[in-house]
Amino acid sequence: MRIALTLAAGLLLLSLAFTWWQQSPRGEPVELTPTLSGQPEYCLTCHGDVPQISAAHALATFGCVSCHGGERLALDADVAHSSMRGGANPSDLALVEDSCGGGDCHSGSEADDRHHIQRVLTSVQSTYAGAIASMRYSFGAQPDLEARYGIAAVSDEETSTGIHSLAAFEPWNESHPLVQEFGENCLTCHLNATPREGEAFARSTGCASCHLTGEHTFSTAIPYAQCNACHNRGNYDLRTMTFVERGDEAVKRVDDYYQPIAQFTRCEYTLDCIDCHTRAEVMGDGDLHADKQSIQYIQCKTCHGTLTDLPHTRTLTDPDDIAFRLAFLNPVVDLQLGDTILVTEAGEPLWNTRVLPDGTYEMTGKASKQVFTFRPVMGTACQQNPDEQQSQYCHECHAVER
Amino acid sequence: MSDLSRRDFLKVLRTCLLYVSGALAAGGLLRFLDPGEQPPTRTEFNLGPAAAYAPGSRTVLAQVPAVLLHTSAGFKALSLTCTHLGCSLGGKSEGFACACHGSRFDREGKSIRGPAREQLAVLHTEVTAEGDLRLIKES
Repeated sequence: MRIALTLAAGLLLLSLAFTWWQQSPRGEPVELTPTLSGQPEYCLTCHGDVPQISAAHALATFGCVSCHGGERLALDADVAHSSMRGGANPSDLALVEDSCGGGDCHSGSEADDRHHIQRVLTSVQSTYAGAIASMRYSFGAQPDLEARYGIAAVSDEETSTGIHSLAAFEPWNESHPLVQEFGENCLTCHLNATPREGEAFARSTGCASCHLTGEHTFSTAIPYAQCNACHNRGNYDLRTMTFVERGDEAVKRVDDYYQPIAQFTRCEYTLDCIDCHTRAEVMGDGDLHADKQSIQYIQCKTCHGTLTDLPHTRTLTDPDDIAFRLAFLNPVVDLQLGDTILVTEAGEPLWNTRVLPDGTYEMTGKASKQVFTFRPVMGTACQQNPDEQQSQYCHECHAVER
Repeated sequence: MSDLSRRDFLKVLRTCLLYVSGALAAGGLLRFLDPGEQPPTRTEFNLGPAAAYAPGSRTVLAQVPAVLLHTSAGFKALSLTCTHLGCSLGGKSEGFACACHGSRFDREGKSIRGPAREQLAVLHTEVTAEGDLRLIKES
């Protein structure tokens, strides 16, 4: 009995000593108490060299745990990381509500324009609803092009498009083998998917797909190359339902920007995608849409007008105008009350533009910071028919020679 | 001094082992149960002689952070923590601005541009019997 007791005491001592050694900090812990949580965290003990993700997510305010989760007081790497959300990417759409949500953050009200998560989850970039419907219709799996499925089940009770919900697309339940192959091979560019292998396709998932523009760097200044990871990476062979990686090596920007067979005007390949395509088009507007065409509405006339109409403009008189918030997050222009900017037909501000005193316009590239000046169509010798505003009509005269 | 027998030595060793392990286990248990040091809920800042702050002056106190106003009604301190998400505010000629999300406040702490909606918190100040100015921050 005594021997057993002695052995037990010895074992207890040994285990305590081992635990003490394992839990002892290697060097002084670095403490940070973010103002948002008010709770100390020791993440910077090991991660002090990680750059602050953005000015809007100041380290002293947010710390690390608010977004990433994890055990804030642990000094052992395994323990500290054991409850992290999404590994290095807490913005994955499966986790985004916990990581980035909140009324004052990214799942606030539509009235405050803080419903970013709802917008992304219902956007066609996330649902892929149009492509799925098109494929299922083409191979007889559904009788029309109505959007029934998305990559994940999603609902929108306050929809203004008539689409209240999409069921989760389950390719393995499809009867046509090509629809099954489409599901397996052709869904790697939606925001939930892990991208294809290869440097040209490198991106993260969720918010980081678009906004992660460098090492632990989030930005709204998204260069066209970021979009290219999905939008100019090759083609799908519909006969075999396989992806064919583009084989050309672009020398000129016009070749790098778009598919080789397409025509483009100078502004279309000189500007970055986000200089024209608005937040609602790219990130969604909070409603479920049947396909890309039903959310994409920017045309040449949005900035240039027509022979009979000037583009829409707005003079900024409200300090809370969303234009100021967007310009603050990506300060390529110094917007002031009283400035007149272009707005889209839906009223979205093209906040990086300005109407100049002589009636011409100026745009500053959101990613490139280049300044471009341009003029309205009205009063020029343009031969357009004001009713023909799709890009191919403008390309007839203005497309560049390759 | 008598020689310690092998049996007695083992007995002493065993007793020591039992006591030490018991003490360590109890210490470990107490440490586990102790929630640890909690962040202070009330912090006092001694700002030195009140007479050092001239009437009409506006002094930024980076250590709080706050701005101390010496008005005709006395001392008043405005927190320089944004009421939106808690980022620190910087001074602008017409007031204060948040470097995180662009909220603006006028010189009296009233919100004049979102996303912050609430005005800046007023922190308690008092002048001690010795004439020192003290600021109290509740967190």
